[in-house]
Amino acid sequence: MRRPVLLSIVVGVVLIAAADHAGGQPQKAPPAAPLRAGVQTFDQPLPEALSPRNASYDITVQLDPVRKEIKGRETIRWRNISAATTSELQFHLYWNGWRNTDATWLREDRLRTPASPRPRDRIRRPEQAGASDVTSIKVTPAGSAASDLTAAIRYLAPDDGNTADRTVMAVTLPTAVGPGASVQIEIEWTGHIPFAAWRTGWIADYFFFGQWFPKIGVLEDAGWNTHQFHAATEFYADFGVYDVQMTVPGGYKVGATGREMRRVDNADGTTTHSYHADDVADFAWTTSPSFIEERRAFNHPRLPSVEMRLLLRPEHRGQETRQFAAAAAGLEYYGQWFGPYPYGNITIVDPAYQSESDGMEYPMLFTGRATWLSPEKVSNTPDSTIIHETGHQWWYAVVASNEFEHGWMDEGINTWATARVMEETRRPNMLAVRTFGTFIPYTLDVPLSREVSGNRMPTYRPDAESDAQTTPTFRYWPRSANAITYDKTALWMHTLERHLGWTTMQQVMAAYFDRWKFRHPRPQDFFQVVNEVSGQDLTWFFDQVGGSNTFDYAVQELQQEPAAQGRTRAVVVAQRLGEATFPVDVVTTFADGQQATEHWDGKDRRAVYTYERPARVTRVEVDPGHVLLLDVNRTNNSRTTQPRAAEAARKWSLAWMVWLQELMITSGIFG
Amino acid sequence: MVVASWLGGWRRVAQASGMALGLHGLTFLLALPFAMLVRDQIAGQLGSSLAAGAVADGVNYDWWTEFTAQATGLGATFTPSIIGFASTLDAVSRVLDARYPSTALMWLLGGYLALWTFLSGGILDRYARQRRTRAHGFFSASGRLFFRLARLTALGGIVYWVLFTYVHPWLFLDLGGDLTRGLGVERTAFAWRLLFYLLFGAALLKINLVFDYARIRLVVEDRRSALGALRASLRFLWHHPLDITALYALDGAGFVLLLALWSVAAPGVYGTGLAMWLAFAAGQLYLLARLAIKLHFLASQTALFQSHLAHAAYAAAPAPVWPDSPAAELIKGA
Repeated sequence: MRRPVLLSIVVGVVLIAAADHAGGQPQKAPPAAPLRAGVQTFDQPLPEALSPRNASYDITVQLDPVRKEIKGRETIRWRNISAATTSELQFHLYWNGWRNTDATWLREDRLRTPASPRPRDRIRRPEQAGASDVTSIKVTPAGSAASDLTAAIRYLAPDDGNTADRTVMAVTLPTAVGPGASVQIEIEWTGHIPFAAWRTGWIADYFFFGQWFPKIGVLEDAGWNTHQFHAATEFYADFGVYDVQMTVPGGYKVGATGREMRRVDNADGTTTHSYHADDVADFAWTTSPSFIEERRAFNHPRLPSVEMRLLLRPEHRGQETRQFAAAAAGLEYYGQWFGPYPYGNITIVDPAYQSESDGMEYPMLFTGRATWLSPEKVSNTPDSTIIHETGHQWWYAVVASNEFEHGWMDEGINTWATARVMEETRRPNMLAVRTFGTFIPYTLDVPLSREVSGNRMPTYRPDAESDAQTTPTFRYWPRSANAITYDKTALWMHTLERHLGWTTMQQVMAAYFDRWKFRHPRPQDFFQVVNEVSGQDLTWFFDQVGGSNTFDYAVQELQQEPAAQGRTRAVVVAQRLGEATFPVDVVTTFADGQQATEHWDGKDRRAVYTYERPARVTRVEVDPGHVLLLDVNRTNNSRTTQPRAAEAARKWSLAWMVWLQELMITSGIFG
Repeated sequence: MVVASWLGGWRRVAQASGMALGLHGLTFLLALPFAMLVRDQIAGQLGSSLAAGAVADGVNYDWWTEFTAQATGLGATFTPSIIGFASTLDAVSRVLDARYPSTALMWLLGGYLALWTFLSGGILDRYARQRRTRAHGFFSASGRLFFRLARLTALGGIVYWVLFTYVHPWLFLDLGGDLTRGLGVERTAFAWRLLFYLLFGAALLKINLVFDYARIRLVVEDRRSALGALRASLRFLWHHPLDITALYALDGAGFVLLLALWSVAAPGVYGTGLAMWLAFAAGQLYLLARLAIKLHFLASQTALFQSHLAHAAYAAAPAPVWPDSPAAELIKGA
């Protein structure tokens, strides 16, 4: 907390002004290769639309802020775009994840935080639990009469067989729905708003509604893909058109997916806000009387304009410019690198403290993460979070992979992209030590690198072998799931970027975005685009990073002895300590400045190189360009004949000694 | 009387300046072998790596995270919190947030406390007498009073353990949790936390005062019973609350002033060579000042207690003297 936040505003303004000069000239995506079968065979966009629009919703919902309850009614127009015929419909009821302590979400959450001195008891009191109670469901197949299926409601637990879990609801249809056929579903339900639950709920006068309505699952060629709500995964849904009318007390400001079309003040003192959104796979909204509303325009000569709207908490007044600048940086860089933002507006929500809805993405709306004290040199909050959530508009909202099964495809790719934007915008990114219950940050002159901190190597390293990335995400060990989903992917994506070069990598990502926008790609779809655009078969790489092995290359030995004619014979041994393999360069530097570069495929345990040169070896480096960012131990990648370890160790041990002495003196108060 | 005690405290510290230096030397010598262990861990991890260059010339957080992931024992405490003023904030925050140190650190600090208990008898005796006792007198008093003070420290340990193990979680997590769980504004939550810090800090200070004056009464009045000293201390606190609180506030102001100066002067990231030694010297000067202030707390409190006695330089025990040589006994008996 060395300086107030004020300078960050200046930095933000400068960043917006400098935004035009970002990142060199992006390459246009090369022509897309012929389409191959994805998850769904018929997920082509409708004529005049961006997406298939096969799951569209008309929703009316009324908030009761006193009872912490919503009453909703929705009409879903669903079209079967799979090759399968279905005799049932499946729905997500996510809020039932907090209905009882035996729900799968809460069971997994307890596994995630077992060491907490006070277990995260999210439903201390019954009124703090969340639930979705469907009171009526009627289904109308095209050309048929409506059937009331309320009595036929049943709950499924396809992932763990947990009978206490009610996050997946199913009804059997009177008549099967074949490929291309449509049904209309009308549902009435009551939602019991959870108290500050994960990514949704209420706290004080702040309400956030994520995954709040009964939502139809995704029918794939192989059948329904409707997973239960898990603690370590997110969501999966088809695209559609949303018309949502939200009635809230007068004076409450509303932010939502889409664009506000109408606002009507009702006789009972409430206000109804009507929002419309095309080609989105979800709809989230928030409301609070405390929001401060700000608007700015994002304009760029090569990108479509975007209206940015910020709903700011009063305690963060003064951070507007910084938050807008971060969102604008995302819109600009991602727009240039991957493809333009397809929606004309975006809402940034500054969530309430302790709401647990911070840092979450929804189509055309996301939540940031701000702290009351945000030093300008520390970009983790709010900058990095906002850049990250902006990125989800590309990787989640538009390229809508199955987050239940392949969480890395949005979170991991987006973590890589976030770190790249942070680097491109040259934001000051220093380490802060947070003290006094984490409220007070103290900024250190310790810069954080993109390679390690941006890609989150410190949190990946201890859990590197906890799960294979090919395991479906919902089966990851909850405690280390983020390390595999976010961190490992960012590291291997950056490794891939360095392996291919940024120009090719950018072409890859642009092509992937272009081919899979408004669709549901699987991992092999991404791999195929990489191989096509790069012109290389990188299957070996994806095989390596898809497992749970770690990468660790080292210099094992450097031996030197006199040889004939005053020359020196040097033996360099490079070693593979990890189980995973990657080709690396081994560069040996001699005293006369000459260098010998060996390209080692990295497959054997060792590679031995012998040199007879007039000069002695001064240093050996394995992977000197730091291409392999997944290498969990970089220190052992080099060896020099003029080591400075003693100097470094002396300096830092003296600093540590002062720290220890101070701790001793402080502890003296107890004696 | 308060100001006189405060000034008298400084006079006593100044008169026995060797004790501050000696104590500083003790913390230095105690910390040195452990610093060497950490040095060896760092040097061993760096080996002949080129990474050492960046670590020596400045700071390399990438390397640091790697080291921390591999470090064991005291090496695991080598985190960026050791840099400059962050170290001070971390130390104070540790106490107020009841963050227990690692097992290795706990043993080390426990050893330091035992040593401090031993020395505190000699220190208080010296401040009470206000005249030179020389080394033999100092250690004689330390030895004579050690087991009594150790009993008092053990009693204090129980009270502090209850305070940190039960009262702190109750205040910050149970009561604090209930009061702040529904807050949607961070500043308000922090204001509550500040209040909890004040309450907890007040409890901590109160206990410190009780045990400080118990030690003082035990030494000045040559009491043998730790419980008796505690009761006497409580009586003294009961009868002179304003003087005691005012003096503690004055003493505390000195501590806060020193922290404020250190927050500006503390060296951050530096290279090797002269810069390293200058930074180390600055750190040692700061620690010396911390010790002087700590001793001043004891000296001024001793002065305050004695000022309430009939004779302001009273100390019940006879001045320790070096025993006569056995030869003298022989001559005397001849």
